[in-house]
Amino acid sequence: MDGACLELSGKRVTEDLPSGSDELTIVRRAQAGDRAAFDALVRRYDREILQLALRVVRSEDEASELYQEAFLKVYRSLSRFRFESSFSTWLYRVVMNVCMDHLRRRQRRKEVQGPVAEDGQPEFFQTIAEERATLDPARTLHSKEIDGRIRAALNALSPRERMVFELRHYDGMKLRAIGRICGTTEATVKNCLFRATQKLRTALVDMI
Amino acid sequence: MNCSEESLALYVYDELAPSERQAVEAHISECGACRERVATLQRLQGVLDQRAASQAAPELLIRARLKLEDSLDAEQVGWRSLIADWLPLLPGALPSRLAATVLLLALGFGVGWILRPRVRSAPNSAGLSTRAASLVGPNFDQISSITQVQPDPQTEQVRITLNAEHHVTLEGSLDDPRIRDILVDALKRYDNAGIRLDTLEALQQGTNDPSVQDALLYALQRDPNAGVRLQALSYVRQMSWSPKVQKALVDVARGDGNPGVRVAAINALVSHAVSQREQSLVPVLENFSQNDPNNYIRMRALAAVHELASGQP
Repeated sequence: MDGACLELSGKRVTEDLPSGSDELTIVRRAQAGDRAAFDALVRRYDREILQLALRVVRSEDEASELYQEAFLKVYRSLSRFRFESSFSTWLYRVVMNVCMDHLRRRQRRKEVQGPVAEDGQPEFFQTIAEERATLDPARTLHSKEIDGRIRAALNALSPRERMVFELRHYDGMKLRAIGRICGTTEATVKNCLFRATQKLRTALVDMI
Repeated sequence: MNCSEESLALYVYDELAPSERQAVEAHISECGACRERVATLQRLQGVLDQRAASQAAPELLIRARLKLEDSLDAEQVGWRSLIADWLPLLPGALPSRLAATVLLLALGFGVGWILRPRVRSAPNSAGLSTRAASLVGPNFDQISSITQVQPDPQTEQVRITLNAEHHVTLEGSLDDPRIRDILVDALKRYDNAGIRLDTLEALQQGTNDPSVQDALLYALQRDPNAGVRLQALSYVRQMSWSPKVQKALVDVARGDGNPGVRVAAINALVSHAVSQREQSLVPVLENFSQNDPNNYIRMRALAAVHELASGQP
């Protein structure tokens, strides 16, 4: 992708970088060791990155760890960024790899479902504030059940399917951009999204 | 048209080229089964949209940013920064990454050769144990880690366990310059605060030695750990009074980042001023009594000024 931003539908980062500087300049300054420039890059993208991490993992602590890991990797390897893609594509590639590594580790630990609390729901859903929570206990319980089912279905996807689906469905990123992030063809990513939807449809068949 | 499941999924996600999209739309207008499949996929999208939004709270974002800033600060002063500063110079100077790799390997081998274990014979010293004698005068730069500093107040001996070329135990008194130099260097430069505290305890026996005095004053004023600074202050108070000691205590009382250390420093100054009727300290104490932001320090200094002025304790 040659543009300065990823193709996010309706999601553009609004924070400004230092006045009079485009992203290319900021990246070059950050590469030269300008910490303020690096901070500006972080602030341009970190809200979305943290949001993505929070969806992928089960808790704020883990999301915060992924955030740290991703931006430290970016900081350490920024000098190797050669402007062969946009900075945002390169950044998301790092983030995607960090998230996929996390998901693989979790799968290896066979903790895909997460610790089950007393009410039978994965503990994750008790750690994230629910925006739609109401004073109606029955409705709250129903929302929790739906969340639990969706979460379990998403956790059953392969790490790559999961990340492609998260970026496409929840972040609204176009598959062409996701392909660039993954370093693969658009056709491969399309197939990945298709497999994810097939698995999700099977897992949630009684709800649709 | 032969509609594939994949095409229908991509249609729902608006990921088909315009011509493919038109073809799918034409097909589903005629094929009830595919129309139902599309409807199922759209319902699936609706179900997935019911997933609770896990909005990152502003506080979480702020915490993450602060933690990242700390990590980046640590990166900038660490070994990675050193490598990052020098490594980019290599590709420009070398024809290929292979050459850079070969150079790094050669550098590593060279450093390893310089630091290789070497056996030397050395005369035994009365002050050193036989194990220590196998290591001739290790200076601080040869020490990779210090695992223990054990002062013995009864015998005034100190035992230092460390790793240099080998695992070594040195034992001797502060009269032995090798022991003293290692302790002085450890107090100033070793990164483990616990070892520095033990080192301070060992050095308190040698407060008459100028290098030990310098080390104690250095620790009082510059050690990053407030506990070490506080302990150093208690040993500095055992030293004979001098302009250097006074200046160090005034500087610490005025500028230390830890209120407890500042209070201990003002107490030391007041104690000396009152016990020695040190009139030259009156202006200093008056300054503290009028300008220090800490209420206790102002009151303590003011009481000492009155005491010195009245001649009454």
